[in-house]
Amino acid sequence: MSNEIIAGVLEIIMNNALPGVAQACIMLMCAPLIAGIINKTKAQLNKRQGASVFQEYFDLIKWWKKPTMLTPYTSWIFIMAPIIYFATSFMAAMMVPGFLTNTVTFGDAFVFVYILALGRFFMCLSSMDAATSFGGMGGAREIYVSVLVEPAVMLAVLINASRYHTTTLSHMVMNYDAAYFSVSAVLACLAFFMVILAENCRLPVDNPDTHLELTMIHEGMTLEYSGRLLTLIHLGSFLKIVVFLTLFGALYLPFNIPLVLKIFLGAVVIGIVEIINNKMRLFKVRVYLAAAVVMLLVAIIAQ
Amino acid sequence: MENVVAMDYFTVAIVLYLIGATTLAWPKATELAAHYAGTFCAAVASGLVAYSALAYMTCPACDAGTIVNVKWGAYSLLTDYWSAAFLLLTGTAGMIVSIYAVDYAKGYLGNRLRALTGLWNIFILSMVIVLVAGDAFTFIVAWEVMALASFLLVNHESSKKETVAAAYQYMIMTHIGTAAIMIAFYLIGSHADSMSFSDMMHNTLDDNMRSIAFLCAFAGFALKSGIMPMHIWLPNAHPAAPSHVSALMSGVMLKVAIYGLGRVVFNLLGIDFMWQGILVMVAGLISAFLGVLYASMENDMKRSLAYSSVENMGIIFAAFGCGMVLYSNGNGILSTIGFAAALMHCFAHSFMKCLLFMSAGSVMHATGSKNMELMGGLIRKMPYTAAFTLVGAMSLCALPFTSGLISEWMVLQGYITLAQYAGTPEMRLLVIFAFIMLGLTGATALGCFVRMYSVVFLGRARNEIAEKAHEQHFFMLLGMGMDAVLILLIGIMPDMLVNTVQEVFGGAMMMPMALPLGLLWSGSGDYSLYCPLILLAIFAIIVIFTGLLCYKNFEVKDVTWNCGTYPTARQQYSATGISKPLRRAFDYILQPVKETVKIHKKRAYHGQRFNVRLSIPDLFHEKIYQPLQDLIVTTSIKFRAIQDGSVRLYIGYTMTAMIIVLIWGVLLS
Repeated sequence: MSNEIIAGVLEIIMNNALPGVAQACIMLMCAPLIAGIINKTKAQLNKRQGASVFQEYFDLIKWWKKPTMLTPYTSWIFIMAPIIYFATSFMAAMMVPGFLTNTVTFGDAFVFVYILALGRFFMCLSSMDAATSFGGMGGAREIYVSVLVEPAVMLAVLINASRYHTTTLSHMVMNYDAAYFSVSAVLACLAFFMVILAENCRLPVDNPDTHLELTMIHEGMTLEYSGRLLTLIHLGSFLKIVVFLTLFGALYLPFNIPLVLKIFLGAVVIGIVEIINNKMRLFKVRVYLAAAVVMLLVAIIAQ
Repeated sequence: MENVVAMDYFTVAIVLYLIGATTLAWPKATELAAHYAGTFCAAVASGLVAYSALAYMTCPACDAGTIVNVKWGAYSLLTDYWSAAFLLLTGTAGMIVSIYAVDYAKGYLGNRLRALTGLWNIFILSMVIVLVAGDAFTFIVAWEVMALASFLLVNHESSKKETVAAAYQYMIMTHIGTAAIMIAFYLIGSHADSMSFSDMMHNTLDDNMRSIAFLCAFAGFALKSGIMPMHIWLPNAHPAAPSHVSALMSGVMLKVAIYGLGRVVFNLLGIDFMWQGILVMVAGLISAFLGVLYASMENDMKRSLAYSSVENMGIIFAAFGCGMVLYSNGNGILSTIGFAAALMHCFAHSFMKCLLFMSAGSVMHATGSKNMELMGGLIRKMPYTAAFTLVGAMSLCALPFTSGLISEWMVLQGYITLAQYAGTPEMRLLVIFAFIMLGLTGATALGCFVRMYSVVFLGRARNEIAEKAHEQHFFMLLGMGMDAVLILLIGIMPDMLVNTVQEVFGGAMMMPMALPLGLLWSGSGDYSLYCPLILLAIFAIIVIFTGLLCYKNFEVKDVTWNCGTYPTARQQYSATGISKPLRRAFDYILQPVKETVKIHKKRAYHGQRFNVRLSIPDLFHEKIYQPLQDLIVTTSIKFRAIQDGSVRLYIGYTMTAMIIVLIWGVLLS
């Protein structure tokens, strides 16, 4: 009996974990590049030269070399939070079906959602840990946005789960028909893109470029961090964008083109959206996300 | 062999509870000894109850009534798998909280501690008897003893005015519920051979009466489990009671109501109509969301936890209703996911809510207050309590590797299955509604417990009471630690408990849910998997690896980011501040009341001070119960005119009544 279990564990690790880790590592390597592409698109549309697309790599290396400053009031949660946040993004990258993991079976949609929630939980905790007002401000707003975005996420899962009769992401992707072009698919695509912007703290929900207390959500939470912990947070955030864009390309974007191209396209579109939109007032965000929910609702009914 | 063991252990447990109950009458000089003896009895007896239930459920050859099978005239004590599952829950929670009470209740030394310990035993015993009752009469009697014992326990600190008010409110509400349950039992029993559950199963009620009986039973059990709008006693009674009592009330007593609902629905009435399932489901979904929304607004730790209980009972009802709808649609086998999810969430919620109420008790013990706004930085003063509470808070947010996600995952799979098999457009809309509500609930719960944990345990002390806090005694930590370990154990290796839970609904051969490494559900067509152990292994490797890479170059000099000002504890976000965005987003539902009072100062243009009071009255209390109470009071005042206390007037009334009766008699004859 125990031998069977061990053999089963080994099989699962060989079939699931190793391709997953490999894919997550590739995505991790590319993640700063995707962020660089978004920034470059924004700069070009602003008629600016802009930084190189590889600038994020240089920034990350710079932060990695610096010492980590800690506020005396912090506890172990403050140090663990970026590590756990990074690990959850990494796990999400393993679960999402993309390049190598189309046969991975442990990538369940709900587990994916709650794994990301684990990272958010610890980041929100750490934001309160340094005992300053900026962190609390960021944390409180993050909670607010996540409450509003969650129904849309759940409906985005439901629309695919009820179409493919499973919540396993890889099975959804295997059955995904990219040529399936319908009202429902287009609405779901638009709505999920709005969810991506909200989940990854992009404009118009949050401004990733500033530390101003009027605009910041995610940046407010990371304000106390420096050195390697800051590097981890940024890597995690970049990875999360790539994960969401992969999911978007693999399940929601109804075009029959290679996935890598879809991710690139997604990054460019995020750049364009960020240029043509202003940061929304914080309490207007609920209208924005309600629109996403309504679109998904119509999409499910029209299915 | 095992049958005999289970039965003997159960009998010993009952005797131990009764011995524990005698501490009520021990002399005052032996108060501390009585406390130790009584709590020891409760802990051991609960452990035996849990063990006998487990032995019964894991023994395939055992037949019904193996734990206890007593018949005494019309009254009987019997068990089946449904009651055994709840016996397991009651026993486990009772044992853990009794261990906690060894040190916690010592704080009541000199304050009727013997009564507390004795009633504690009676309370657990009455819940156990409710679970093994084989007929309606025994059930109602035990149910009443449970209500009275918990009323007396809630009222223990009766020197406080609000405690007495909360206790009496609880008393009134719970009796309304009991009345509804009695009506339901009477309706069913009047069309059956006797009041024993086995006879009531073969009742001859017609469909209309069956519906009325269901509605009565639903109202009664929903009231006891704090489903909105019948929840108003719950957020008052839980903070008023001593913490270990609130832990057991929230962790076990609310689940006993689920047991009752299941008993009525499965055995007595059957699931014939879809609207019944939809009613249970919608009531559950609404109280899940509103409960957690109120929970994330409260500044009183225990009140917040009480509202969170409303939320979790809502999720249990939602899962149960999902099972009922699937069953009434003719998907008998698939409906197991709904019922199993409900039962799993009963277990999960029992562990995590007991844990959080215990840690709230520890925080109260250490600081003397349950107001979150006065806390802060307790993670350095109480490291173990903080670690255990973190596990409980994570579980309440349904985060991975805790028991919370196991049950939440099952609930969500149940709703996916419902989306598959309930094909009408109305049902599809209902499923969409369910997903929106569950999404809102999950995210708000995360916000609620981030807020509670970070305000109480993280940051800096907001008040000197939090600075003087100290770590708690051994048995309190032991109780909390046991619950935390259970949460993680079930969260990482769910197959043990899920297998047992599945036995209740016809065994694993029907629809396998538990694998050696995780959960599997194939009811919605293709299969879905959740393997926490493998995920945890990978997660741990990544965390350790990145942790080792990062764990260097730390420098602690001074506050890192403070805009050049002097850092004070008041700069931190307060609990009210953290919930402000949510309060504004849902102000239509919450309707917060803000009173601003200007404090007069000599120089009008310089440093004006304000007193701001923010309160969020419970909507149902304001809109339903307060008008109802006003109506009752105003009508009673009108009737007071005929009752002014004079004996002559009453003799006059009697005379008049007699004369009327006499005239009536003469006229009729």
